[in-house]
Amino acid sequence: MYDLAIIGGGPGGYVAAIRGAQHGLKVLLVEKESLGGTCLNRGCVPTKSFIHDVSILEAIKRSQVLKKEGTISVDTTKMLDRKRRVVQTAVAGVEKILKSHGIEIAQGRGEFLAQKQLKIIGHNGASRDVDAKNVILATGSQPVIPPFIDVNGNIIQTTDHALDCEEIPKKLVIIGGGVIGLEMATIYRILGSEVTVLEMLSDIIANEDSEIRRAMRITMEQKGITFTLDTTVKEVLISEGKARIKYAKGEAQEKQIEADRVLVATGRKPVLDGIDYNGLGLSMNGPFIKVNAHCETNLSCVYAIGDVAGGMMLAHKASAEGDTAVANIVGERKSFNAGLVPRCIWGFTEVGSVGMSEEEARAAGCEVKIGRFPYMNSAAAQTMEDINGLVKIVGDSKSGEILGVHIIGTNATDLIGEAVTAMTMECAVEDLAEAIKPHPTLSETVMEAAMDWSGRAIHSLKKKE
Amino acid sequence: MATEVVLPMLGITIERGTIVEWLKNEGDLVEKGEIIFIVETEKVTTEVESPAAGILAKIIVLAGIEVPVLTLAAVIIEPGEELPAEYTTQAIEVPPDKAAVTAPGEQMPASETSPQTSAAPTGSIKAVPAARKLAHDKGIDLKTVSGTGPGGIIVIHDVEAALKPGIEPAAKVSTLARKLAEKDEISLEGIEGTGIRGRVMQEDVKRAIDEKASYGLGKVIQMSSMRKVIARRMSESAVNAPHIYFFTDVWMEPMLDFRQDILSDFEKKYGLRPSVNDFLIKAVALNIIDFPILNAVIKEDEIHILPEVNICLAVALPEGLIVPSIANADKVGLVEIIQQRGDIVQRAKSGKLSMDELERGTFTISSLTQYDITHFTAILNPPQSGILTVGKTRDELAMVDGEVEVKKMCTFGLSVDHRIIDGAVAADFLQNLKWKLERPSFTFLKV
Repeated sequence: MYDLAIIGGGPGGYVAAIRGAQHGLKVLLVEKESLGGTCLNRGCVPTKSFIHDVSILEAIKRSQVLKKEGTISVDTTKMLDRKRRVVQTAVAGVEKILKSHGIEIAQGRGEFLAQKQLKIIGHNGASRDVDAKNVILATGSQPVIPPFIDVNGNIIQTTDHALDCEEIPKKLVIIGGGVIGLEMATIYRILGSEVTVLEMLSDIIANEDSEIRRAMRITMEQKGITFTLDTTVKEVLISEGKARIKYAKGEAQEKQIEADRVLVATGRKPVLDGIDYNGLGLSMNGPFIKVNAHCETNLSCVYAIGDVAGGMMLAHKASAEGDTAVANIVGERKSFNAGLVPRCIWGFTEVGSVGMSEEEARAAGCEVKIGRFPYMNSAAAQTMEDINGLVKIVGDSKSGEILGVHIIGTNATDLIGEAVTAMTMECAVEDLAEAIKPHPTLSETVMEAAMDWSGRAIHSLKKKE
Repeated sequence: MATEVVLPMLGITIERGTIVEWLKNEGDLVEKGEIIFIVETEKVTTEVESPAAGILAKIIVLAGIEVPVLTLAAVIIEPGEELPAEYTTQAIEVPPDKAAVTAPGEQMPASETSPQTSAAPTGSIKAVPAARKLAHDKGIDLKTVSGTGPGGIIVIHDVEAALKPGIEPAAKVSTLARKLAEKDEISLEGIEGTGIRGRVMQEDVKRAIDEKASYGLGKVIQMSSMRKVIARRMSESAVNAPHIYFFTDVWMEPMLDFRQDILSDFEKKYGLRPSVNDFLIKAVALNIIDFPILNAVIKEDEIHILPEVNICLAVALPEGLIVPSIANADKVGLVEIIQQRGDIVQRAKSGKLSMDELERGTFTISSLTQYDITHFTAILNPPQSGILTVGKTRDELAMVDGEVEVKKMCTFGLSVDHRIIDGAVAADFLQNLKWKLERPSFTFLKV
């Protein structure tokens, strides 16, 4: 009898396993493929490895001081090799840590039979039943593909294929203008593809603040990426080694576009393989497993975390939920606050954000006050040749509560961490203005935006009354 | 004959107290009325007088120990008298877990961060010995401690407060939690923090506000000590004193007009604005002079008509009702009534009333004029024998010389202890008060 069995060894499951072991629980972690889940193997980490490589190329191309002689390009074979090594190192690291905690790792497919009961079917077909006092379902998610699209892994791909494909298409169409779509668009564009992004909604990265969305769209467009918004893809056909995509834009007549490759990035759906939720009486929230703020499902001693439980599909969100679930298993009452999960995008520039956008805050009835600081006014940003960035703070004008922080620009994904810490500690906007920042660094931009919010910006022109 | 000295009742809500300093030693001669010790409670710090002249023969409750009120604290004997044997062995000492506070042998090393405390501070800093000892043992510089005892003397509580870093709002309360507490005027003290290392977060303050604001369905609420005392005393009063109730309507226009007439001159001369309540307090006090039995308490088989007329005002605090009193309301002028009332209501709200102010009352006025309540009954505030209730002033149609007129009316209620006050007396009292209020010029005429 285990104290805790976890199905899924991604950033939710393995964090829960370690946390459980730290609390002295006897933990079993079931993983059907490779530890680290989507994040380490097919998501965050591989794409960041690529982003790093192509960013070097982009920086060289953009440099005003390097001498350009001949052509410079990325060796995609080496790029993939490097990514594999990064992934292998990370996965091996996770395994070492898990083992150091005495956590048993079961390779195979986990089936959730009943409360406190699992079946593990090994890759060789052998199965065994396992009893556990507590179960955490952390099975993750997989790309969702519209039924009329036949993903063949070659001309029509998902990120799962693309991240292992050395060939760079001349013309690429990406279906979906979310975070994944933008990151892939950036990688391929820098590698030389002609990229068109088809988005069903009226804007890309729809859950971000409108100012950030606009800045991101313009940045990407300036780099030659075409966005076709309000667009419904009707059909994707393959003929003569090319894909032909038929789409409709509003009431207008259907159009079509040809591409050497189509990347389907239309979102992700939960992996419910091995979880017979109807039979078990497990409550669902749409396609996801329904949980409360303690990550508890409707079945006692059964928890769900990460992508399978819905919400933002982010590794760090899954990890935080893993921590929450274990805390509640060991009797600490802990809640997961979805409002404090940062969001990150790595494109031609970075986006880091947390909390409510200005529009959301206004819609929620908050008395909103905005503080802004453009990178243009930052000496550090000038030295880095990034003058298009922006820090935007959405605060409650009465209480000073930080409702949201939105950053676009170099290192935005790192800078947002400070805002998350401040919000977690329940700082007011003024607290962000108060902390001294090293000069010249981008960290000053957050402080300056908070000063602007407080009506005492230093590196901004005096506002006209 | 030996006289017992007890820890006095320190107000209706106070159940325990700590003698922070003995001003007399065993064997000292004491005069009746001489201050012999200082007692400290959650709400008040006060000096206690000797109930008799003689020799302080035995101190039973040593300084620094919290004991229930009415605990035997010391024995005073007459010169030449022997200490009765039953007292010789009695002594309430510091419990072992607090021994460090007073055990002189053990000393904790002074903290490295505050080197100036290693030498015991003496001289001009006023502190009770137990506080001084505690500060010394814990390495606290008395110069950094502000005293809240009589005359600013530092008492144990002050040193304890200085010892608790948790009281420092900056260190353990999130900015948003502090702002919320300020906005909703809720004290951060006593709020349990659920954040990292006990940090008080917004949620904790919200919870405290909720608990304060509502008795939600299905909630189980622990009674505060104040609430327990109120509960006990109210049941005692309801059970022991058979209440009878009387109501009358008072025509308020004469009073309101009278007040209006003098208001600007009064304000010019005294810089104070008398409220209707101030006139009411005075009128009730004067009415008690006409009916002294309403100023009485029962002591076994005797009725004691008290020598002073001290009118209590019921003040609603978040924790419960508190009834401080205005002293000698029959004798003092309106100016002093206004000053006393303003002062005690304010100090009641900040918890800084003296024992005397809480205990000296002889008759209570409970007013709900701010509410849309026409009239109500009240439970006597023991050991008092009368309580007056005041409802909202309202417009009413009345026949005046065959014409219908609008009159401002207010219903007054009187509850009395039927053991000593009969219906006719109570009715006379209330009727007489009505007469006084409807004829203010004559009532307040000082011939």
